[in-house]
Amino acid sequence: MTFADIVNLTLNGLISGMLVALPALAVSLVYGLARFPNAATGDVVSTGGYAGLFAYTASGSLLAAGAGAAAIGALVGLASYYLAFRAILRRSVITSLLTSIGVGFVIRALLGVMFGHQPRTFDMPITRAARWHGVMLNPTDGQLVLVTLAVLAIVFTLLYGTSMGRKMRALADDADLARVSGIGVERSMVTMWALTGAVCGIAGMMVGVRTVVSPDAGWDTLLPAFAAAVVGGLGNPLGAVVGAILLGVLQEWSTPLVGFVYKIALAYVVMLVVLLIRPQGLFNRVQGVR
Amino acid sequence: MLDYALTLAVVTLIYVLLAFALDLQYGFTGMINFGVAGFFGAGAYTSALLTMRAGWPAPFAFAAAMVVCGAIAWPLGKIALRLRDDYLAIVTLGFSEIIRLVLVQEQWLTNGVQGIPGVPRLWPTWTTAHSELFLLGMLCVANVAVVLFLRHLTHSPYGRLIQAIRDDEVAVKALGKNPARFKTQVLVIGGAITGLAGAFFAHYMTYIVPDQFVPLITFYVWMAVIMGGVARLSGSVAGAALLVLFLEGSRFLRGVLPWVSDDAMASVQIGAVGLVLILFMRWRPEGLFGRAREGSR
Repeated sequence: MTFADIVNLTLNGLISGMLVALPALAVSLVYGLARFPNAATGDVVSTGGYAGLFAYTASGSLLAAGAGAAAIGALVGLASYYLAFRAILRRSVITSLLTSIGVGFVIRALLGVMFGHQPRTFDMPITRAARWHGVMLNPTDGQLVLVTLAVLAIVFTLLYGTSMGRKMRALADDADLARVSGIGVERSMVTMWALTGAVCGIAGMMVGVRTVVSPDAGWDTLLPAFAAAVVGGLGNPLGAVVGAILLGVLQEWSTPLVGFVYKIALAYVVMLVVLLIRPQGLFNRVQGVR
Repeated sequence: MLDYALTLAVVTLIYVLLAFALDLQYGFTGMINFGVAGFFGAGAYTSALLTMRAGWPAPFAFAAAMVVCGAIAWPLGKIALRLRDDYLAIVTLGFSEIIRLVLVQEQWLTNGVQGIPGVPRLWPTWTTAHSELFLLGMLCVANVAVVLFLRHLTHSPYGRLIQAIRDDEVAVKALGKNPARFKTQVLVIGGAITGLAGAFFAHYMTYIVPDQFVPLITFYVWMAVIMGGVARLSGSVAGAALLVLFLEGSRFLRGVLPWVSDDAMASVQIGAVGLVLILFMRWRPEGLFGRAREGSR
């Protein structure tokens, strides 16, 4: 293996890590406020894929596709909150988790009935990869990285630079303390579900561009997103992003050794090791049982 | 017609075994195991491979399937049970996908996606009909044995302890008991029962492929437990029967409505599972025949 190969693997890892970063961020945000790992995340990603595909076919612009995917994703996020999660807000994590599995299945079923199971692809112009001493970068991948960085910048500005973001973080940190300080739970919840839905929608558009759009496409991003969120520390948004990129790079580096199929398995093994050594995740403080 | 009744009975009883195992873990102990399909597959492949490649007699292979599935549950418990409930869900879900990947990838052992055809019947020299009846009989015996065992277990001090863990883990800790130890044991027992169900499945189907052990199977079993009744063994039986009724009913419906494609019907099936989960968790988390529980759930 030459140096260029290693650089290529690393680049690929960064890019696939970026793709997982957005769903992982969504998992972490939902966990912070609603306190359960949302298993419907992947299916909102699939929905974003379809929304992006239709917006792209209609307009021919990836920017419009992203906007469409974000809008539909936000709508699906809000719908899942109002129709399913709102009623069980104060119940146990088991209830929420099983409900999220149910929500995911319903979304997948609706996609399957409406659009069929045939995988669809974005009709992208074929581009030549930029080469530099054997290091290759596909311009489309470069665009996707830029999109991810832009979305991450927007989300983190929202979280750390606005009063709504401050309220959401306060709720995530200590819900009771936030509530007695007069922070409205409902408005923060609505914002959070719309935001995470939009983030997942955009992620779906990008997964669609890079692979295919199908009702089951999202499920394949759910497990890596869970692994990344746990590695980074559940409920820690920045940790989820860093965890996703870390796992993405580790997966690519390991491909020559363990082969293609075990990529997902590797993410899970890393997660298990992290749980053994640092159960709170790499970037979380130790905290009491909630 | 008789063949069909036999098939229904076998499939139902296999789901009953799976539901028993999950009910012990979730209903009685409050643990979220999303890896049912993984244990099920591991049991099926273990028994099939041992009888075919190593020439083991079926009873030993069945026992080995139980041992293997119990043994792989143990480290999972060790890792996840020190953490909150939801970590166990994530860990077991990933674990079952890893098992499936191993079944796909390790072709020297499992023949990959092509699967293993020709898994022997329990009594290979008999005619198909007789050996199927024999398998049904053995399945009945296994179900009765598991029921008696679980009844004994849940009515013993041990059973009261695991239910106390479900209801208030902190209180159990305050009594000087270590919940993680008991949860690991329950995970192992449930894993062994799931492995037994897998062995029956392999020797009944006589043909196993990794695709039979997708996560959807896990949630079928969850649907059975949640519909039938949580923490009540008769509820698991009722839930499994309802599940098979639902699965067969949708197949029947597909036959009557020829303009509905297979894909659409599969989607409707998944959607129905999802709706059942949402509605039951919202309105009747204890299931149709389960005990209503006071306190939060």
